[in-house]
Amino acid sequence: MSTKTPSKADILRPIGTFSKKYLAVYSVAALGLIAFLIAWAYQLEKGLIVTGLGDWGTGGGATWGLYIGAFIWWVGVAHGGIILSASVRLLGMDRYMPVARIAEMTTIGGLSAAGFYILVHMGRPDRMVTSVLGHFHITVNNSPLVWDVTVITAYFVLSATYLGLTIRYDVNRLRDDLPDKFEPIYKIITFGYSEKEDEIIQRMVWWLAAAVIIMAPLLLHGGVIPWLFSLLPAMPAWTGGIQGPMFLSIALMSAISGVMIISYTFRRVYNWEHIITDDIFRGLLLWLGFFTLLFLWFQLQSVLNGAFLGPLNTQHAAEGKMAHPAYQVAMTMIFLTLVYIFLQAIRPALFSKTRALIASCAILAGTLTEKILFVVEGFFPPTFDIYTATPGTYFPSLIEILSLVGTVSLVALLFLNLAKLVPVVELHAIEHLTGDHGHEHDHEETTKTETEPEVKA
Amino acid sequence: MSTDDESFHPLGQEWEDELETMLDDTEYDSDLGMEMAKDAMRVTKGELSEADFHEKYHEDVMDEFGVDDRPTEEAYEEAKKNAGGFAEMLKSFDGDGDESRRDVMKKMGVGAAAVGLGAWGTAEGGQPNVADESGGHATEAHREGDTQWGMAIDLERCDGCLSCVQACASENNLDQGVNWMYVLDYEDGGADTSQNRLVRPCQHCTDAPCEKVCPTTARHTRDKDGLVLTDYDVCIGCRYCQVACPYGVNYFQWDEPDISTEEIAADPENDGEGDMMVDDRDRWVDSRSPRGTMSKCTMCPSRQDGLSGEDKVGTSACEDACPPDAIQFGNMRDEESDPQRYLDNPSRSRTLIQVGAESAIPEVAGLEEDLADADADLESVLEASQDLDEETLQLMKATEIVTENFGEGDADSVDYEQNIIEIFDVLEEHGLDLDSQEVLVGLDLADEPDEDEEFEGADELDAQNALEAFAGTPASNFRLLEDVGTNPNVAYLGNEPGPNAEQVEGPVAYEDTQYERSDGSEPNLVDNRKEEILDEGTVGDAGVSL
Repeated sequence: MSTKTPSKADILRPIGTFSKKYLAVYSVAALGLIAFLIAWAYQLEKGLIVTGLGDWGTGGGATWGLYIGAFIWWVGVAHGGIILSASVRLLGMDRYMPVARIAEMTTIGGLSAAGFYILVHMGRPDRMVTSVLGHFHITVNNSPLVWDVTVITAYFVLSATYLGLTIRYDVNRLRDDLPDKFEPIYKIITFGYSEKEDEIIQRMVWWLAAAVIIMAPLLLHGGVIPWLFSLLPAMPAWTGGIQGPMFLSIALMSAISGVMIISYTFRRVYNWEHIITDDIFRGLLLWLGFFTLLFLWFQLQSVLNGAFLGPLNTQHAAEGKMAHPAYQVAMTMIFLTLVYIFLQAIRPALFSKTRALIASCAILAGTLTEKILFVVEGFFPPTFDIYTATPGTYFPSLIEILSLVGTVSLVALLFLNLAKLVPVVELHAIEHLTGDHGHEHDHEETTKTETEPEVKA
Repeated sequence: MSTDDESFHPLGQEWEDELETMLDDTEYDSDLGMEMAKDAMRVTKGELSEADFHEKYHEDVMDEFGVDDRPTEEAYEEAKKNAGGFAEMLKSFDGDGDESRRDVMKKMGVGAAAVGLGAWGTAEGGQPNVADESGGHATEAHREGDTQWGMAIDLERCDGCLSCVQACASENNLDQGVNWMYVLDYEDGGADTSQNRLVRPCQHCTDAPCEKVCPTTARHTRDKDGLVLTDYDVCIGCRYCQVACPYGVNYFQWDEPDISTEEIAADPENDGEGDMMVDDRDRWVDSRSPRGTMSKCTMCPSRQDGLSGEDKVGTSACEDACPPDAIQFGNMRDEESDPQRYLDNPSRSRTLIQVGAESAIPEVAGLEEDLADADADLESVLEASQDLDEETLQLMKATEIVTENFGEGDADSVDYEQNIIEIFDVLEEHGLDLDSQEVLVGLDLADEPDEDEEFEGADELDAQNALEAFAGTPASNFRLLEDVGTNPNVAYLGNEPGPNAEQVEGPVAYEDTQYERSDGSEPNLVDNRKEEILDEGTVGDAGVSL
């Protein structure tokens, strides 16, 4: 536990510094994104034939693959991120305030990546505006894909507003310490700001958070996104009400893992041990364990429901899923992570930030695999499975795999850019840590002392 | 639904018997009850008006029960204003179990009608069947209009020659592997697999899931005739339709199609007004799709719009090409259309094709020549004629006997009937009276009357038996995946593939069949598009699969 006191200077450090390492990371991320943009240009030139996709049925392929799998994964990361941040504000989980903004930024990044995937996935992305918006009033009544685009847009607006409102407060107070070269941007951000609004903004943010928390299970990642699949009657691997909770649990797992990785990186680079404390990681890890447990429970439910007594189409789907090596690997990885999390909860000595980082990476890899597999597997045991070319074959092409590099780079670039523009840890968190410092710190110290002997044991 | 089940009730004979027993338990007249139940079913199908139904049984009901508590005509008018008519009232009485049905009987004072009502509730809520749709009353209330193009496909007549697949690919200039029409053989665990074959065009569902999920309205149902089409100018290529279709009939255009629009428009074989791409609403919905959009069987809108010539209206490329006439294309809402006639009496239609088609029918001139010196009795005529034997004549006559308005109508099969009429004319002219006792009894199409009886003419049952003995009756009559609720407009006759059906090699390989396209190229058909075509374009094809 660091004895340093969190200060404004701490959260301003990323903005004021410029290192070779930063430049190197920035270059790698930029290269990653550019590489995929070139690959995408090639795809636009040649058509989607450059992917490993095909027509399910007589054609012998999977209609959707990595693009859609990664799309729902990123949406999950985004939704989980905003839920995390909203919980902090709504439920008064002040402990996590230092990572709240990172979670919000993750949401913006995740939604950007997801939105990008929509375009990448389309045969005719140039028609998005004319064809989709032009018929919106008709299609919104029926098409889950339109619901999807609608809620993602709504979500983006909600998250951006949320982030924007809280940033106004910070930028206004830190303005003198922020670089002048971004003056125009700060002017836009703080347009019409007066101190009188602080209280109102707090209330608005609270209501936005309440909206997010209520909408998340009902409409967003617990509703509309899984409905994209679960409402279709002919693909038994996708069908069923369990997909709602399943998607939501995956979203939260992925988001917590993502936030942990990003927080870890910031903490390490900018020496924020006293801001993003070990305590936060321990807490996040426990939450991760909780949602991982839920996820495994839902998996068990969905698999057992088909495998025990059919009907045949559901049975084929469940058996196919269980027998798949990638599924087994992903589930084992997730299960072992869960075991670790529970063990370190019982024996705190087993905790280390590196292990927490490894756990996060394992969960992210596991959920991404599960998502892609989930999409592809839908086509493997369709109800009408009479064709010899069913199950078809699918393996992501290099361009599809590159899209993962591209979108991860995109999100990294977003953070790298934002970190130079605004504080990634909000001023409120610092005020909170310093303001209540005496009391809070005493309490923490006592807890630490109490647990100390056990740690040593 | 099995065709040999004579029950009026959609749930079959067993159910009907059970109902009858139930009625026997009551103090009322079971026969009257069952009669009324039958007619109640007819009311639900629209064959009998509600007012007529009321009137028909009024006296009987008064005799039996002393009171007629059924909704009277006036009550019916009132009910129609309030709740959609007698039919709606009937529907609300669809009992959940025996007890509630008994209650209903008591309540109405006429148990009989309730039996019909229960029957009706089932017909309404259950799976659509051919009988339902022939009348145009039915479950498909979602689209108005007199026309719904569709097909009846006789799987027992299909010989797996792939002519339909070939004709479709050629007519629509499809890329290899884009099998809008697909024919497959399968094994289903049974011993005899000779009749296990499925012909799979797009089902042009009345409640098409592909259309429902489309984010752009590119996939749409044409108001005038129920064709489910893709507007290639609107489609964004999200492939959600392909994902939502339970039949797997969609094919995405992953890269630039082989044949350009210029080549399609300049096709020397296209002598119609249209360019085979744009329909009569000026929307690009026909032929192969452009890059990045979805395509599937269209049921030939250029033909249906008369843009390929008036003679092609009501036909499809696959139907035209099918050697055994296993595909019957036509208006599913017209009882006189080819598919509905076929479904109505498959044995008759099968026989008609086999004895009435140009290839099968004796030449008129030749027949006249043969008969020139023959006597006018049946035996002499058959002896003199080289191409007309007793069986053929019997089948021709049997077809006529079981057909109302023989030789009249717009259906393609009417041509066959007219061919037969021409032969009959030659025979009648020669002096052979085909409706005489001698001929009909001689052909086993009528019973010899007893000495004191008058000859009653042709016996329809005998005729039907002769047709069935010759052409057989289909194993079953089904639509694909009915429980998914898509209301498909392709009706099948033959074996329905079960949940364990697995595709096996057919008699003709896709690879061995070539098709001609507008640019003169003649590629072969491809079965597995992914392996043979698409993988070539994949960047970094790993050769493995998830």
